[in-house]
Amino acid sequence: MSGQQQDPLSFEVIRPGASAPDERGHRRVHPLTPFIQGVRWWPAGIALALTSTVQFRITVGTGAILVAVAILVAITLLGTGWNYLAWQRLTFWFDDDGDLRVDSGVLSRQERRLQLSRLQSVDVLQPLLARVAGLAELRVEVAGAGDSKVALQFLTLAEANALRNEIIARSAGVRHDAEEAPENLLAAVPPGDLFLSLLMRAETFVLLAVTGLLIFITLATEGTIGLLLLATGGVPLFSIFTQFSRYYEFTVAESPDGLRLRHGLLQKTRQTVPPGRVQAVGFVQPFLWRRKGWVRVRLNIAGTSTSAQGSGDQSYTENVLLPVAPWPVALAIVGRVLPGVDIMAIPLVPAPERSRRRAWIQWRQLAVGWDDQVFLTRGGRITQRWDVVPHARTQSVRVTQGPWQRSLGLASMHVDSTPGAVKITGHHRDAHEARRLAQEQADRAAHARTTDRSLRWVAQQQLAAGTPTASDPVSGTPSSVALAELPPPQLPPTAPPVGSAVEADPAEVAQPGEVEQL
Amino acid sequence: MDDTRTLDDAFAPPDAEWTRVSPLLARAYRISLGVGTLAGVLVAIGLFLIPDVPGWLPVAVLVVDAVVTAWASWLIGRRVRSWGYAERADDLLVTSGILMRRLVVVPYGRMQLVDLVAGPIHRWLGLTTVQLHTAAATTDARIPGLTPAIAADLRDRLARRGEQRSAGL
Repeated sequence: MSGQQQDPLSFEVIRPGASAPDERGHRRVHPLTPFIQGVRWWPAGIALALTSTVQFRITVGTGAILVAVAILVAITLLGTGWNYLAWQRLTFWFDDDGDLRVDSGVLSRQERRLQLSRLQSVDVLQPLLARVAGLAELRVEVAGAGDSKVALQFLTLAEANALRNEIIARSAGVRHDAEEAPENLLAAVPPGDLFLSLLMRAETFVLLAVTGLLIFITLATEGTIGLLLLATGGVPLFSIFTQFSRYYEFTVAESPDGLRLRHGLLQKTRQTVPPGRVQAVGFVQPFLWRRKGWVRVRLNIAGTSTSAQGSGDQSYTENVLLPVAPWPVALAIVGRVLPGVDIMAIPLVPAPERSRRRAWIQWRQLAVGWDDQVFLTRGGRITQRWDVVPHARTQSVRVTQGPWQRSLGLASMHVDSTPGAVKITGHHRDAHEARRLAQEQADRAAHARTTDRSLRWVAQQQLAAGTPTASDPVSGTPSSVALAELPPPQLPPTAPPVGSAVEADPAEVAQPGEVEQL
Repeated sequence: MDDTRTLDDAFAPPDAEWTRVSPLLARAYRISLGVGTLAGVLVAIGLFLIPDVPGWLPVAVLVVDAVVTAWASWLIGRRVRSWGYAERADDLLVTSGILMRRLVVVPYGRMQLVDLVAGPIHRWLGLTTVQLHTAAATTDARIPGLTPAIAADLRDRLARRGEQRSAGL
């Protein structure tokens, strides 16, 4: 468990003052929070001041520095004061239904209830400043449109971890004072590999090549294209650094309450993805990774995108399961996410040869395939992609056809997943085949959904009857934990009679011993 | 209906006829097109009034405006006829588009919300759009050009089926 490890950057400034619950059991975040939020913008502000001084060639005397410091202090005090009010108003607690409630807001008050049975992921984040103070932010995401995430800034690390465990335990329906589930390390990404892999990404390479070309031109013509150099050379360096620092010391561990991902150089992140929350998995292999046999694995997880509902907003955060790993490792870990699926064994059906006139680079790579559990698409020539969606997680199926495709008798077939980096598209199929595939996929999805639900029902009935369910995670379905009873406005038609605990399938989440505690 | 002209087999209905939308939708499209054309004309006039703008520019804007308008109005009839939906046992099919054609299969169990939407022009014409939402932002299943009664019926039917077949995420 990470809490025990000494973080070299943490000084654990304040231990007392940690939030004791008030008489109603409501808790507060750490009292140091307003100050940390108040000084958080310092680096950016100072950098801005410095650059503008240099840019406008302002001569800086002692007076100017004093004024700058005064402004800094004033803004910090104002910010801290405001954040203090916000801190005072922010309370959180677990209500009688076992859901997380958060009250906040200074001018406009907000009362939020996070239905933990619909939990998608829990992250413990430590931004650098908070980390120095020994504090952490807890981010909870549940399935739902719009306002489906809550971030508690800041708790002590121990508190954040305890709260995280409590939330996961409550969502899984096991006793919430249960011990943190033991975990088992599956994979760790060596920093050297990570750095090399980032260097060998196609976009980095293109930009570095452009930089080289610019240097050459500059030398040849003795011109000054310094600014352009800075942009073309700086962007890849910056992106390499941010990615490197984000995915530094990436580890994947398995525990009964889900996969645990830990990473970060300056900001430490600890993500927990409960089982069955993975909506789609994508493999990406840039050209230069091929010889190394490396691949990056990405996930779609519902609720982790902040797009406004139905607006078609495509903004999302990339959920990375593995920033870089050899194929066998990646496949083994994806095997934990999608149990019983052998992606490499799925027979692929390539796109017709005439698709080369529409996609002359990647046409040979275009293919789709499926087995009884997942649908797979392959594409991309320089950067290759494999995208996988379980039938039971298929949201809808589309066929699209542009004018050029139409003249060739081609059409693309899409399997819609929740918003995220993974997009499942079988490009440039024969139009009739695309239509047939879409129909068949809809039928497979329908079938998978029904089996999914019936298995969950069995588990619920066993639970209701008090029989301890076996820990066998109902093999045959990729993930049998159903989360949300939809659609939201109506009452869930299959609402279980005994609180929210039953909605998530504890057979998969909990060990047999823990189920008995119910 | 001249289905054969607007839809070929790949986008044809599965086992039933497509239910078509109201021809009034063409009027809504024409009004929107008229507004767009007017905006183009206003831009041209504005350019004409600004000094130092070369004289051919407003003319070019007008020509482009006229060409686009002519082309779009020629397409309007087919665009309206391209809309269709079919309710099957387990899913709803929606098709549309002429240049970019699409067909969406939305399982009832995946629907999260069914909205009725009507903008000012559509409301004035007595038209309503049924908009479906799933957990995927890319689903994009909407059916415009329904009369309010049909739209409300459709929404209720869809909501009921969604409730019966509601699956987890």
